[in-house]
Amino acid sequence: MDKCRVNIAIIEPSSIICEGLSNILLQAEGVHYSLYYFDSLEEIAQEMPTGKIDLVIINPSVVKNDIKIFTSCRNARNSMAWVGILYSFFERETLELFDALIQITDSPDVISATIHRLMSLNCHGKHAEPKEQLTPRETDVLKHLVHGLSNKEIADQLNVSIHTVISHRKNIAHKTGIKSQAGLTIYAISNKFIDIEDYQG
Amino acid sequence: MYQTKKTFIKPDMKMSDLILENPSLLLMMEHFDINIVVGDKRVEQICSENLINPQVFVSIANLYNGFHPAGNENFDKTDTKSIIFFLKNSHRYYLNEKVPEINDDIQKLYTENNSPEIRLVERFFNEYSQEVKEHLGYEDEIAFPYFNSLAGDSNQPVPKRTRYSAGKYLKHHTDIETKVGDLKKLLLKHIPLKNDRFLRRKLLLGLFELESDLNIHSAIEESILIPLIKKIEKQQSVG
Repeated sequence: MDKCRVNIAIIEPSSIICEGLSNILLQAEGVHYSLYYFDSLEEIAQEMPTGKIDLVIINPSVVKNDIKIFTSCRNARNSMAWVGILYSFFERETLELFDALIQITDSPDVISATIHRLMSLNCHGKHAEPKEQLTPRETDVLKHLVHGLSNKEIADQLNVSIHTVISHRKNIAHKTGIKSQAGLTIYAISNKFIDIEDYQG
Repeated sequence: MYQTKKTFIKPDMKMSDLILENPSLLLMMEHFDINIVVGDKRVEQICSENLINPQVFVSIANLYNGFHPAGNENFDKTDTKSIIFFLKNSHRYYLNEKVPEINDDIQKLYTENNSPEIRLVERFFNEYSQEVKEHLGYEDEIAFPYFNSLAGDSNQPVPKRTRYSAGKYLKHHTDIETKVGDLKKLLLKHIPLKNDRFLRRKLLLGLFELESDLNIHSAIEESILIPLIKKIEKQQSVG
C-alpha cells in the first residue's frame, strides 16, 4: 500500500490564507502532502531542476508581476501543475494560465479533489475506490486470528515471518476498519470466512 | 467526529437559544446537575447560580458544539471539583442509562434476528460494558479521589501517587472508543438485516449517542482535567 505523496510549493503573500490552506492540505485523508513555501517565482525556478515539486499553488498576482519567469517555468517542465488560489478579481487571460483554480470558498473536499484530479492520484483516500476486499492471504490470517492464534503461531502455520503476519494484520484492520479481535470475529462470520460451527471462541 | 458549524459559546449568550441549536447541551446540563428549564437566563447567570466557573462551563459546552479548548484557559485548583462532579455524573449516565438501554436493544434485536452474528454482538457488548465499568470504576475510585485530595479536599488523605497513572488512563480511553467504532461498523456494513430494520436504527443511534458523549468525556479529561492536575502537581512540588 503506497502512501501517496505530493510535493506542493506554495506562493501566497497573505499569511492568513497560506496558513489556512496548509492546514486544509495537511489534514487531507489518505494522501500525504509535503508543503514548501516560496516567496517568489525565481525561487521556484531555482528549485525546479531537482524535480521535487509536483504542483504549485500560487496567487495569480505573483504570476502577473512575473509573467516572463512564469512562462519559462511552465515551458521548462510541463509535468508540473499550476493551481491559482483565487480571492480577488483577475482577468480571464491571467486565469487561463493555470491548470486549475482553488476558490477561497472551496471546501476541503473540493480542494483535495482538484489536486487529485491534476495528479491523477489513486490513493486510499475518501475519493478513491474503497478496496475492502481482503486478499486470500489476508483471509487466511484472519481465520487464524479469529481462532485465537498468536502472531507467532500464525506465522508458523502459514510458513511466513512474523513481520509478514503483522503487516497482513495491519492491512486487515485498515481495509475493514475493524480493530478489535472480537469485532473481527463477527466480521469473519458475517462475510462467511468462517463457519459459526467452527468457532468455539 | 463533531459537527463544527455551531455557535461558539460565550458567557453572555442565552442558554435557551444554545439548547435549541444543539439539544445535546441538555445532556451537558444534566451532567452538571443544572435545571434544564432555563427561562431567559444567560450562561453566566446559570453559572453563578450553580457555583460553576463560567470558563469551565463554556469550555465544556463548546466541546459539545465541536470546539476544542484552545489550551490557554486559566483553570484553577478550585475548578477541579466541578469538573470531577461533571465527569462522575456522566459515568452514571453511561452505566445506569445508556449501556443498559443499548443492551436491551441488542436483546430485542436478537428476538427478531436470531443469527449467530447478533449473539456474538451480544457477547461483544457484554465484554465491552465490563471494560467500561472497570475503567469508570478506576476513575471513580482511584483517579478522582487523588485529584480531589490534590486540589485541597483536605479531609481526605492524599492516596499514594503511584496508584494513578496518566498513561493508563489514556490507553483505556482508546480501547473503549475503538470498540464502539467496531460495533457501529459491523452493524452498518456487515451483519445482514433480517426483520430488524427499526431496532437496528435504534441500536445504531444509541451507539452514536454513547460514542459521542464518551468522546467528549475523554476530551474533557485530556484537554481540561489532566492539564489542570499537572499544573496543581507542579505548584505543589514548588511550594
